[in-house]
Amino acid sequence: MSKDSVEITDSGQRVILDIVLNMIVPPSADGRMPGAAEVGVPAYLVAEAADALPLLRQELEQIERRSRERFARGFAELEQGERKNLIGEMRAQASAFMHRLAMETLACYYQHERVVEGLGREARAPYPKGYQVVPGDLSLLEPVRARGKIYRDAP
Amino acid sequence: MTKDVDVLIIGAGASGAAFAWSMADTRMRILCLEQGDWMNPADYPSTRRDWEVRMDREFSPNPNIRRRPEDYPVNDSDSPISVLNFNGVGGSTILYAAHFPRPHPSDFRVRSLDGVADDWPIDYATLEPYYALNDRQMGVAGLAGDPAYPPHEPPLPHVPLGLAGETMARGFNALGWHWWPSDTAIATRDYAGRAACVNLGPCKSGCAQGAKSTVDITYWPVARRAGVQLRTRCRVREILVDDKDMATGVVYYDELGVEHLQRAEVVVLACNGVGTPRLLLNSRSARFPDGLANRSGLVGKNLMLHPWGMVRGTFDAPLESYLGPLSCCILSQQFYETDRNRGFVRGYNMQVTRGLGPVATARIGVARGDIPWGEGHHEAFARRYGRQIGVGICCEDLPEECNTVTLDPTLKDTNGIPAPKITYRLSENTERMLRHGLERGTEVMQAASAWDIYSDGPVRQTGWHLLGTARMGEDPGRSVVNAWGRSHDVKNLFIIDGSVFVTSGGVNPTPTIQAMALYIADVMKQRLANLFD
Repeated sequence: MSKDSVEITDSGQRVILDIVLNMIVPPSADGRMPGAAEVGVPAYLVAEAADALPLLRQELEQIERRSRERFARGFAELEQGERKNLIGEMRAQASAFMHRLAMETLACYYQHERVVEGLGREARAPYPKGYQVVPGDLSLLEPVRARGKIYRDAP
Repeated sequence: MTKDVDVLIIGAGASGAAFAWSMADTRMRILCLEQGDWMNPADYPSTRRDWEVRMDREFSPNPNIRRRPEDYPVNDSDSPISVLNFNGVGGSTILYAAHFPRPHPSDFRVRSLDGVADDWPIDYATLEPYYALNDRQMGVAGLAGDPAYPPHEPPLPHVPLGLAGETMARGFNALGWHWWPSDTAIATRDYAGRAACVNLGPCKSGCAQGAKSTVDITYWPVARRAGVQLRTRCRVREILVDDKDMATGVVYYDELGVEHLQRAEVVVLACNGVGTPRLLLNSRSARFPDGLANRSGLVGKNLMLHPWGMVRGTFDAPLESYLGPLSCCILSQQFYETDRNRGFVRGYNMQVTRGLGPVATARIGVARGDIPWGEGHHEAFARRYGRQIGVGICCEDLPEECNTVTLDPTLKDTNGIPAPKITYRLSENTERMLRHGLERGTEVMQAASAWDIYSDGPVRQTGWHLLGTARMGEDPGRSVVNAWGRSHDVKNLFIIDGSVFVTSGGVNPTPTIQAMALYIADVMKQRLANLFD
């Protein structure tokens, strides 16, 4: 099983999850940045946020149920604006869960190699290569030196 | 029963390591018990691509989040600031920022100069040689000539300012305010067998390079070669005393939970401002019903945490602000000394920190509503990533007996030892100081041309500096230990950590904690013939 195909939901819920993930971080218009549905969030959730999985399944069910009640269609069949309204309501009403989902998604997304490379950086661990940092212009200290001592003497 | 020792140190962190190193030349039998383990640098987050997530999980500075077997829980529900620490060889230096400013001479004379709290029984001049010694042993980087301090010369060149440091320097200059490259416990070039810093960035999750000066790689290797024994995964339950009020040793649990008795001629506490009072309060006996060495009633009282504010600004120019040691760059002590016109006494240090990694940039931006879900996400992220800088406000809080470490009635660690409970609030003076600092931090951000500025304080996850809970002083009724760390009540019990601070100053305390430990070791060595008189 590949990382991206980890089954934390049934196939219908997976479709809903992917839509929601891309609502959090969509693919960039220029194709440089993937959408959040493309970076293995389900596997990440299993590894890093297993405690949230039961609630995730409940919330995905809730999204589908609300969609059918409101629009008489499944969430996957809704227009973009309809999805946005429905998820907006969920964010207002189930804010803690939706916030958690967003935070976990962002953590997974912004450490994925495609994303890091899309940001123009090497997708690697900081160690051992490290990074170069400009030393800085110490002539900026001249006015500080010129003002002189600012600490108090103590008895 | 284990073999008796002359000196038993409890805790292998900043103070315990420095003390052990200094005492090693006595050739006494010295043993240190540490509840944590040795760290393997290969395990540090910076060796992995997912370093940002690892920092928040198993390398979180909050023991209640980290929850390693060697950690003990802390009930911090009655405090706006959470206690942060690390349990292992190296103690909290493993995860500290390595920001290493000294206090000012005035910090030791708070009562005389400002009419508040108490003076320390020692002064800056007494400790200065020990600061210098510690700078050399740890490997401290900086730039001599800072007009905010008496002259001193860090042994290593300062950490790079980067574009972020230069940007803020121009902001401070525009306002005519002090700034200076921070003293930093980082080897900026090869030093004492350690490789130079290569700017990995996440210093606060352990340094895989070994450039950050953590005591597991500075003091401990030398101390052990000199004969000091260090025993890990040993959690002390209580200190024992005889009917003459002398400590006789400790009871501890090993990694398997097996109970041991370790006898010692001298017991030295180095568990810092929460661990030390916790152990003393857990060491009750018929002679010390309120906790060991607590006839003053001050063990666990006067907790000081350095309430912390944070101002963050975003700049138009790309600054690569995520590069460089995360929390060490430049500082400003423009508002460090007392000026009563500000509406409070004492002052604060401004610590310029660098930008955040991509995960933290995105999470904070989305949580604040600055970076949206969906359309516009990538554009808003790009406007912030690598373009943000922070200014931390480290406030001196004064000692107050209502701020305490006590024993939680129900919470226990994995060995069943009662856990600490923190009760803490900010005083009105500190609240005013914090507000002033957040306003000045905003002002310097504006002067540096930041366009999106926000501030917050006190920041909850900033309780690194655990001070004052077994204060030193000459009066046994007003202090727990004397001017050289010896308990007033138990003549062979010493405390060498942040607990003994009389006041907190407004700077990171590790240099002072270590200078004090070295000073106390020297006094003990000079008094060996009559140490208990």
